[in-house]
Amino acid sequence: MSAESRGVWVVGEQKGTQLATVTLELLTVGRKIADDLSQELNVILIGPESSDNLRLLEEYGPDRIVLVTGGATEHYLTEIHSDSIASLVEKNRPSAILFPATYDGRDTAARLAARLQVGLAADCTEVRVDETGRFVQVRPAFGGNLMATIHQPTARPQLATLRPHIVKPAKPAKKTAPKVERVAAVPLSNRFQKVVMKSVREVADESGNLDEAEVVIGVGRGLGGKEKLNMVNHLARLMDAAVGGSRGVVDAGWLPHNQQIGLTGRVISPKLYMALGVSGAVQHLVGVRTAKEIVAINIDPDAPIFKVATFGIVGDMFKVVPLLISELESKSTAAANVQATV
Amino acid sequence: MVCVKQVPDVAEIKIDEVKHTLIRSGVPSILNPFDEFAVEEAVRIRDVVGGNITVVTMGPMQAKEALYKCLAMGADRAILLSDAKFAGADTWATSKTLAMTIEKLGFDLVICGMKAVDGETCQVGPEIAEILGIPHVSYVKRVEMNADGKSLLAERSTEEGHQLINCSIPCLLTASKALNIPRVPTIINQMMAKKKPIEIFTAETIGAEKGQVGLPGSRTQVVKVFTPTLRSGGGKILNASDLQGSVGQLLELLKKEGSKQ
Repeated sequence: MSAESRGVWVVGEQKGTQLATVTLELLTVGRKIADDLSQELNVILIGPESSDNLRLLEEYGPDRIVLVTGGATEHYLTEIHSDSIASLVEKNRPSAILFPATYDGRDTAARLAARLQVGLAADCTEVRVDETGRFVQVRPAFGGNLMATIHQPTARPQLATLRPHIVKPAKPAKKTAPKVERVAAVPLSNRFQKVVMKSVREVADESGNLDEAEVVIGVGRGLGGKEKLNMVNHLARLMDAAVGGSRGVVDAGWLPHNQQIGLTGRVISPKLYMALGVSGAVQHLVGVRTAKEIVAINIDPDAPIFKVATFGIVGDMFKVVPLLISELESKSTAAANVQATV
Repeated sequence: MVCVKQVPDVAEIKIDEVKHTLIRSGVPSILNPFDEFAVEEAVRIRDVVGGNITVVTMGPMQAKEALYKCLAMGADRAILLSDAKFAGADTWATSKTLAMTIEKLGFDLVICGMKAVDGETCQVGPEIAEILGIPHVSYVKRVEMNADGKSLLAERSTEEGHQLINCSIPCLLTASKALNIPRVPTIINQMMAKKKPIEIFTAETIGAEKGQVGLPGSRTQVVKVFTPTLRSGGGKILNASDLQGSVGQLLELLKKEGSKQ
């Protein structure tokens, strides 16, 4: 069977009709893998169709776009997502499928891997075709202390989830109009007749998306209290950043649990991580190790966070942040004025 | 039914800077922190609706320690899957082994931690559910048993909020940190737990064929292990004596890195 398995697939992600940027990153990675393997690149997007998304997908060079719509796909449900992809896999037999390492991507990929009885490399920071022509995956383990290169020798397709931000989305130079195919989602009742999901409700919390955000502001116990978050949220809005925190901040109830960054929280890879009043315990640092830049602002010159920071200010965050806010605000006003004149 | 794992205390792991390997000696083994939320929730549910809790783990004989902790927290029965045949299992083989065990013992509800802090895959829970042919809800932060006794309401964390999912039983849940605050077992409960038997299951006990479990049953293969180039830091650390100047430099950096273009 493995001999006939061909095609690299990317499973995109959308919230409502908003396409997640990680989809374009996956297409960029997938295009390279597909070219190196001389195979086709397909992208699957599950959920309500939007012409904007379709145009965007087309620009990133897939050979085929498969839109899975209908049923209960306006909300994420593992069983519907994994069964819908499984049915496409059974028909088309791809050699590899890439998912985003997001809450939903990890969830679907795991269920699908078990369904197909194949392997799955989780949270990869790199995937490539090696010098022997094998598709391999590189992933961190043990809190990022160790990296493992993984190959899946026989089972096909090889599945992998990829962390957001590992590449910059890039449009291929050579473009051919991809085929677009529309299929109906596999309804829940097909396999789970005894068990029915009755209701799904999505409610947005106010804190931003830690996985998708290019800039993340992390707060530590140095914050001093929940009311001080107003200042941080203000800065976050100006920087288009998401806000997370250390375990101490979450345990104190200043931020919800899903905003905890670190070993017993979330592991993120933003372009820029700005740590405000975070001392930088190992447990926290494993969560931001793959950030491109770490900026630290802390009053304690001996705080371990400075050891990993690419830029740091030893100083009072309550002096630095307001100054930063006023500078950013005056800049955006200036920009707005320029625009008004033009 | 609760699935747990004994893991090295990841925060204590250090890197041998010369040999580029993990220094694992002297690193204590602990019950995976996310599994504590799973055990705690199981105890709370049992105390309301009745029934009993079986904890299952796969690992070497030392993994008994993790099971004793679960028993001290209130679990009724503990099973250690220990057999040379289970060694080298990836997530698929692990899920298969656990699912075969769960199936053999019978169950109404399965709870796992959402991930183990060493492997960090978040895979084993959903994979077990798929193998057992039951639905699952991952990253659960709240559970309520419905009055019909045949379903539950689970609140699932998502990237930006949460979903409320009504799910019939039997099902599998993976526990997030927000689910509860795990109890710290009393000394007396810890001592009583040590007196309880831990049942050892082998591949034969669960009826696993050789190619189904352990390394031969695995789908993934580790071809190379290496230590990452760790962040050296060594960045520019400024003193705040010139606050305006420092912030100015920070703005320059933000302009360079934070811009979307």
